[in-house]
Amino acid sequence: MTTDAGQGAGHGEPDPQEHGDEPVRHLQRGQFVAETSRPVPRAALSARATAGLWALRVFVVLVSLMVIYTFIDQLR
Amino acid sequence: MTLTPPSLPASGPTPDPPLTEEDAARARDRARVHHARGHGRHWQLLWLLVGPGILVMLGENDGPSMIAYASDGAQYGLGFFVPLIPVLFAMAYICQEMCMRIGAVTHRGYGGLVLQRYGRAWGWFGAGDLIVTNLITLVAEFVSIRVGLAYFHLGSGVAVALGLALVVFTLSGGRYWRWERIVLGLALFNGLFLLAAVLVRPQPGAVVSSLDFLPLPGGSFNTLLLLLASTVGATVTPWMIFFQQSASADKGMTARDVRHGRYDTAAGAVLAAVFGIGALIAGAALLTHGGSGIQGFAGAGYPEALKQVAGSAAGAVFALGLIEAGAVAILTICASTAYAAGECAGVSRSFNSSPRSAAVFYAANLGAAVLAAVVILIPGAPLLSIVLNANVLATVLLPVSLVFMVMLANDSALMGQWANKRSTNAIGITVIAFIALCGAAYGIDSFLRVVHLIGP
Repeated sequence: MTTDAGQGAGHGEPDPQEHGDEPVRHLQRGQFVAETSRPVPRAALSARATAGLWALRVFVVLVSLMVIYTFIDQLR
Repeated sequence: MTLTPPSLPASGPTPDPPLTEEDAARARDRARVHHARGHGRHWQLLWLLVGPGILVMLGENDGPSMIAYASDGAQYGLGFFVPLIPVLFAMAYICQEMCMRIGAVTHRGYGGLVLQRYGRAWGWFGAGDLIVTNLITLVAEFVSIRVGLAYFHLGSGVAVALGLALVVFTLSGGRYWRWERIVLGLALFNGLFLLAAVLVRPQPGAVVSSLDFLPLPGGSFNTLLLLLASTVGATVTPWMIFFQQSASADKGMTARDVRHGRYDTAAGAVLAAVFGIGALIAGAALLTHGGSGIQGFAGAGYPEALKQVAGSAAGAVFALGLIEAGAVAILTICASTAYAAGECAGVSRSFNSSPRSAAVFYAANLGAAVLAAVVILIPGAPLLSIVLNANVLATVLLPVSLVFMVMLANDSALMGQWANKRSTNAIGITVIAFIALCGAAYGIDSFLRVVHLIGP
């Protein structure tokens, strides 16, 4: 994981010694493309949370279909 | 919970990451922020850090939204809606502040984080929702430019050319900073709706007395639900979530900039609410002149109607406002599509990259605009229905995106001390429940009426 949130001191302030006086020293390590290209680890969702998310997804799809059906009916 | 990022070795010196053109461009922007902060130049610091918040809020004051506000005013007057608009933008602030905070702390966009943290299925579902609602909304934006141009006797071809030229022009710089400042400059012309409100000469007493939410809009229950769903859809939409988080990361914001990010988002919410009320007041002039049956997207629609009741200046200003609202929304919505495409494909997604090194990002940005432009050139396309349903569909699909946003903002492994507080969660969940209720109630009620399971 490349977030700077857990780096502690100065909320992930850049390390000025890394790149001397170059402007790039003002970037935090987690801001580099090389770092943001790395995926963050997968979070472990509980079975309850997963079921809740699927229920919400199914509900939203059903309501969307109702809106689309109504939209098509209005066109006739 | 405070974690050492797993990608970094637990101890010992870490090698410098390889530099890209994107890093170099972002570093130059960050150097200016560092300099302003170091020298105590507070106004310069604010100037450097504002952007995504104002853009996302004024971008959402788009063509369909402003037409929706004007339509509310024309059909129901000022009561109920004048206080409702600030309440809705306060809700939008709650959501967008979380997006800004996640982007600043993690330096990653919403689409990529959801995909990596919660699995590809959820990531692609979110991207699918975004693409559907963005394409429909983009069509509506081109229509709104067309409506504005129709006032000046210009046609669909000019609307398409103008919209596409703006996208190409803003993409041509290869810098986030340049893109942001051009769109910010355009977005400030959203204030034309406030000018339109002044030009229709409203009675100040009527505006003040409408602040008590009364009278409630008349008409059927379904009409009230449609008004609520479309007005909610005019203030919080899926593209806003993708856009602000990704833009905050692309701008190079860090956890230390969160305070200024909040100022930026709050300023955007206040401006958007004021300009939205401006459109409402301008539309309400049609009510007092007995012009409630305006077809907003037929020909020059509202601008022509305003010209009849408040003079040519009011009509012209409203028409220019519609052109601006459509143009800015095209730029921000295309950007959100491009960010999501790059994040889900796992490739470069930054305005700081060149088209050669971020081909997917640039292609998605331009491709979304071209697709929408093609639709409005189709003879006989049901543009009015598309526009009216764009906000409703966005409201219906929004709750899933909002739930993942709250989950990310609560993820202490990602957010550390910047994770949501309990009070923020309580407000955020209330907002999500309200939005889900509005969208679902309208969708279900309309469907049951169409299939004749309940009466008209």
